[in-house]
Amino acid sequence: MSRRVLIIDDEEDIREVAALSLETVAGWDVLVAGSGAAGIAKARENRPDAILLDVMMPGMDGPTTFRELRSLPETADIPVILLTAKVQAADQKRFSDLGVVKVMFKPFDPLVLAQEIAATLGWQEL
Amino acid sequence: MTEDAAAKLAERLTELWRSSKSTVLERMLTLRSACERLTQEPSDADARTRGLEAAHKLSGVLGVFGLPQGSEIASSIEFLLETKGPLTAETLTALQRRVADLDAVIASKPDE
Repeated sequence: MSRRVLIIDDEEDIREVAALSLETVAGWDVLVAGSGAAGIAKARENRPDAILLDVMMPGMDGPTTFRELRSLPETADIPVILLTAKVQAADQKRFSDLGVVKVMFKPFDPLVLAQEIAATLGWQEL
Repeated sequence: MTEDAAAKLAERLTELWRSSKSTVLERMLTLRSACERLTQEPSDADARTRGLEAAHKLSGVLGVFGLPQGSEIASSIEFLLETKGPLTAETLTALQRRVADLDAVIASKPDE
């Protein structure tokens, strides 16, 4: 089953590697956005099956973007996975408490990123 | 994942590393320059912010290109820069050593 995943990250190289990984390994349709605002617009327009959301972004950060997504009827039910380079336990708990389905850490392994997302969301195709 | 997909991914990652390397080197330059400034003026908040941002980005990206040790070192630099209060001489020495280590890790990765 083909899936559509939206990657929201201000760092172009991270967007490119994640998109390449999901397209090549899983064959998913990948959308990308370089900011929280652009990501929200793409999510409303395209209704992806999942969103991979960076935490630290200039302007609207990941947690703020997540809360905005949850407040909009079109995007409220889309599962969101946070991506962060922060590894302190307090940060992990703070992010998990937001209500995201999972907090994943950078750097991710491009070879297994798709499998980790699929396992988290209960997608059986991988 | 099939062998074909793995080979294709590895090839494309190599291409992406070539195109991303200049950005990585720019971030190293920012980090090095911030640490040099902090050696002269340990309470310079702007330099610390610049260094933190560069280290954070490096810690997130180096591992995806097969440099997990680079991500670990960048993360440890980020941790040192997050220390509360002015940086001590001991912390600054540790910072300089880790920045040099990070330079060496990045230089060790071939373009192909």
